[in-house]
Amino acid sequence: MTLPIINVNNVTIEYTSRVGFFKRFKHKALDDVSFEVQPGEVFGILGGNGSGKSTLLKVLGGILHPDEGEILVKPGVSRALLSLGLGFNPELTGEDNAIISSMLNGYSKKQAQDLCKDIAEYSELGHFFYQPVKTYSSGMKSRLAFSTAVLTEVDVLLVDEVLSVGDKKFKQKAQETLSEKIKGHQTVVFVSHSEQQVRKLCDRSIWLKDGVLQAYGPTAEVISKYNNG
Amino acid sequence: MSDSKKRMRLSQAIPLIHVQACMKLKSQANTLVFSYLWWVLEPLLFVLLFYFVFKHVLNRGGDDYFLFLMMGKIPFLWFSKAVNSGAMSIQQNKGLISQRVIPKVIFPLVNCQEALYKQAFAFSILIVFLVANGHHDVLNWWQAIPLIILQYLLIAGVAVLFSCFATFARDFTVVIGMFMMCLMFTSGIFWDVNTIQDPALRDLLLMINPLAAIIDGYRKVFMYQELLNLKYMLCVLAWSITTFGVGYWALNRYSNTLTRRLFA
Repeated sequence: MTLPIINVNNVTIEYTSRVGFFKRFKHKALDDVSFEVQPGEVFGILGGNGSGKSTLLKVLGGILHPDEGEILVKPGVSRALLSLGLGFNPELTGEDNAIISSMLNGYSKKQAQDLCKDIAEYSELGHFFYQPVKTYSSGMKSRLAFSTAVLTEVDVLLVDEVLSVGDKKFKQKAQETLSEKIKGHQTVVFVSHSEQQVRKLCDRSIWLKDGVLQAYGPTAEVISKYNNG
Repeated sequence: MSDSKKRMRLSQAIPLIHVQACMKLKSQANTLVFSYLWWVLEPLLFVLLFYFVFKHVLNRGGDDYFLFLMMGKIPFLWFSKAVNSGAMSIQQNKGLISQRVIPKVIFPLVNCQEALYKQAFAFSILIVFLVANGHHDVLNWWQAIPLIILQYLLIAGVAVLFSCFATFARDFTVVIGMFMMCLMFTSGIFWDVNTIQDPALRDLLLMINPLAAIIDGYRKVFMYQELLNLKYMLCVLAWSITTFGVGYWALNRYSNTLTRRLFA
């Protein structure tokens, strides 16, 4: 058996927020979660609102460090988190945001500018690509985010609900690209509300509820427990 | 080492800081009616306001008072605007931080770089006024280069340190406001630090307030054709290195804590 590309061991994340001068509210966004992601697989994360899916993706992306437990990632593995337009500066154009995004992934300015031509074409944003992102609809932001992330070469792509927005044609195109990437041994961790998308794209999955792991294994089994739960 | 503490290569960080700063300038210019003209208008309007109040309302200053005021106000505006925006930069980039592992020190440095580019316009205006007012003796003006570099280092150091504090506790923005007010009155912007009678007190002020030493330095170089005081310049350098070092260390050491504060 191949070594996992990401190994999640007993990860717990607890948020503390102040609700008064002396009062604090604590809640566990993730509670003792463990699983493994194998290289080249598409791994699904299912769960309702507030189940801890997005927090888990941030932990997998190295953005948040767990309070307890650990995340082991193969050395040298690059990861990119793809979620809806959060990383964009709304005052900058789609092109400028794509350049910054690519440079943050380690590209030089020249390489990023070259990549921008492909991003402009793939995103199908037309002249909007050269307009500030604040003028975009949520579907357009999603297209820009997906195009930028998918055309930048990373080892693990962490996709957060991004396929749930956008027109039907682009969604279809995005799913096809993801499928192609998967054939090319791209590892994808995919968060979605949509059972159908998870069933179609993911080999194995987990189901989270209130930060606690409810099921882990082949997607069909996890979805069956999810529906009965 | 956790991902949040991963270092970015300098060869990657410098172009990234430059590109982001340029793009921010472009986007700001596009949103304002007077666009790039504001970078010249803003410092001029501030100086005019101060000049009117001190020269005509309070009857202060001599013949060169307008230039004297410009030498104080323009560097102070650069410092206060860059440090204020640098301090808030991590919070402003919350969206980007939620998606990527980026060393947090990049954000205040982008804002400092942006302020440096804007300052180039303000300094150009300053030079035009100097020449127009008969200050043609340019022999010592080369000293402005190390002086500007020193001020940039000081701004970067303080902005990096304050960005850490302001991310940890938003209340710190109140302290920054008070800090700037204190600096405005103690740095010799509308008065001359050399008029302090007690030499020991003057020496102490120029050593513990690096901005006072910098402003005095600009006047020495541009208005009085004097040499910079090496001791005070070394103090500025020491302040810059210390604040940057402590800020950089804190941003790395508490990177995860700061990320959690952003999303708490």
